[in-house]
Amino acid sequence: MAPSVKPISSPVPDAWYPTLALFMLAIGLMVTASFFIYEATSSRRNRSLAKELTTGAVASVFLGFGSLFLLIASGVYV
Amino acid sequence: MITTNQKTLPSFTPLVSSLSLSPEGDLAAKLNLFLAHPHTTNTKLKPKCLNFQALTSISSYSYPQVKKMGIRFDLFLLSVAILWAPVLSDLVLSKVDRRIDLTSQSVRVTSTLKVENAGTNPVSEVLLAFPDHHAKNLAYLTAITNEGKGKTKGSTVSLPVEVVHPKGMPPALTWYSLSLLKELGKGESVTLDVVAIFTHTLRPFPEEITQAETQLVVFQDSAFYISPYVVKVQSLSVKLPEPKVESYTKLENTKISGSEIKYGPYENLPSFSYTPIAIHFESNKPFAVAQELVREIEISHWGNVQVTEHYNLIHGGAQSKGEFSRLDYQARPHVRGASAFRNLVAKLPPRAHSVYYRDEIGNISTSHLWGDSKKTQLEIEPRYPMFGGWRTSFTIGYGLPLQDFLFQSEGKRFLNISFGCPMNEVVIDNLIVKVVLPEGSGDISVSVPFPVKQWQEAKLSHLDLVGRPVVVLEKTNVVQEHDQHFQVHYKFNNLSLLREPLMLISGFFFLFVTCIIYMHADLTISKSSASYVAKLQWDEVQAAIQQVQNIINRCLTIHDKLEASLRDLSRTGDVQACKAARKAADSYLKELSKELKPLLAFLQSSPQAAQILPKVEDLIAKERELQERLMLKHSTVVDCYEKKLGGREIENRVSSIQQKVTALRQEVDDLLEIIDEI
Repeated sequence: MAPSVKPISSPVPDAWYPTLALFMLAIGLMVTASFFIYEATSSRRNRSLAKELTTGAVASVFLGFGSLFLLIASGVYV
Repeated sequence: MITTNQKTLPSFTPLVSSLSLSPEGDLAAKLNLFLAHPHTTNTKLKPKCLNFQALTSISSYSYPQVKKMGIRFDLFLLSVAILWAPVLSDLVLSKVDRRIDLTSQSVRVTSTLKVENAGTNPVSEVLLAFPDHHAKNLAYLTAITNEGKGKTKGSTVSLPVEVVHPKGMPPALTWYSLSLLKELGKGESVTLDVVAIFTHTLRPFPEEITQAETQLVVFQDSAFYISPYVVKVQSLSVKLPEPKVESYTKLENTKISGSEIKYGPYENLPSFSYTPIAIHFESNKPFAVAQELVREIEISHWGNVQVTEHYNLIHGGAQSKGEFSRLDYQARPHVRGASAFRNLVAKLPPRAHSVYYRDEIGNISTSHLWGDSKKTQLEIEPRYPMFGGWRTSFTIGYGLPLQDFLFQSEGKRFLNISFGCPMNEVVIDNLIVKVVLPEGSGDISVSVPFPVKQWQEAKLSHLDLVGRPVVVLEKTNVVQEHDQHFQVHYKFNNLSLLREPLMLISGFFFLFVTCIIYMHADLTISKSSASYVAKLQWDEVQAAIQQVQNIINRCLTIHDKLEASLRDLSRTGDVQACKAARKAADSYLKELSKELKPLLAFLQSSPQAAQILPKVEDLIAKERELQERLMLKHSTVVDCYEKKLGGREIENRVSSIQQKVTALRQEVDDLLEIIDEI
């Protein structure tokens, strides 16, 4: 067995998945909430597209990872 | 047996009397007919053409007849062997020990051959022969050689075995060739262990039994080892599951002791010698046959290997006839339903989790699972006990940790997992193993220790764009010895792992963009109606008010800074810093009031703001007053410090101003709140 054989495991330790899912989703939902508050309270002239897009992007990143870890933690290994 | 002239078979009645363990005469007669059917038993010998098909159907003869025919047979075979001698190599089997294990539903034949090179040329191949009717049920054939002399056993190496078709051999034989590790020189000998496993070779007789009867099966083979070489000494021992034998063929040198029948030793038999024997015995071992087993192994790089197995089981023993009485079966299961089996045990790898056992109706709760660090044992009980001919189908699934089965070497990854079924006593007619690799895997290659049929498919699963590559391996006639590990090699870039979260992220981002577009889009149909115009104006007023609020808030922060500087002064006594802060605040406030002017003008001019305008003006006025008072207070305090007056003096002078300041501040805050609500 000359070539070295290393076992491969997941990039994130298995036991962390539920905690990570919870935190990512919580942060994602909070950023989503701030996005919608900004949308509701700003008037048409004061709205800035850049702020909206960045808030949306950050929220979608956290929500995306959070839902992925949620799927994995509940057994659907995608 | 071969008859050299037209000779009718002797009647079967002398045969019956020669059989041991007097069974019912009826059954024995039926057995003989059964064995004789369907082939004819009269065959005229064609020179150089031994008809092995006829041989299989002829039942055995009683001893005196065997002796008579045996001599004639031996002479014939001797002549045949001499005629054929130049065709075959000059190996001699000096000792052959065959052990046939009939303790389960598969027949396991272990032959220990001592091969000696009696000729002059070195030989590197040994030929093995099996009759065709056996060979089509051959599931597993392996040959092991023990390196080392005498009692010391060196390493056991398994030799490569291949199917060959040598010319000029008798028909109805299937040939396999073993390649020896090193050539056998003149006079040398080597010991080989050949293991052959046959499935579906035990035929139940009677073919239909009621619930109260036990299952009897018939095994037919040859007492002499069929080989192209001359065999000097050979012996055969047959091991039965229980010491209950209905009948067995008695040749010379036959002994039965408990559950073992020994034939032999026979000496100096020529090549291709053959004597059919039939053993009719009781076997109540579970005859579990999986007609189709589909094993799906899905790899997820996020940490799981999911194995799903779909079984289609049938009881391959004697068919059950008559009615099934549950009461009888539960009262005395070993008497009523001896051949039925109730549960199966599957040995899963250790650390298996999320094990489920269900079928089309739903979950089956009659199962037990326990595990330790070496294995996880799952005992399942189908919804009903399996009698002969009954079928059941179910699905077993379990998850395994990734690091036990997926490895990395030389830039490629490979999966190392077992091929066969985790249940020991199940014989599989058709096994399909599907390995589902994650999307983005390339360069797929499979290495299996035995020949299988393979092809590739694609499967669409969670979060897939094009589908996952699936390697499908198919094999027929699989037994427990095939449960070895096989490897699937593939290449996978770690960045492809990010594809799945990126899909989810882009999905959520699409939702947000839709929301933004909805808020920005102007969907009114009529752009000149009064209400639309009014709405637009109100929006502008709102924007102006927000900006006013913003400015007022900034003014308030400056006031706070001034107060903070006063407190600093009382703490440190640094008058110059205080004055500098005052100057900065002054200039800032001037800027803010400049910004406020156009907004105020706009609000005054717009008709929509009529309601809110007085409040805004009030707010601005109050804020200005507050500003003035605060400045007064600030200068007073600074003066006092310059004059180096005491703390009490300062307080006295400032107190009235302070009261007004706090009151005004409160009013400003209230107004801000009211405007906010609007």
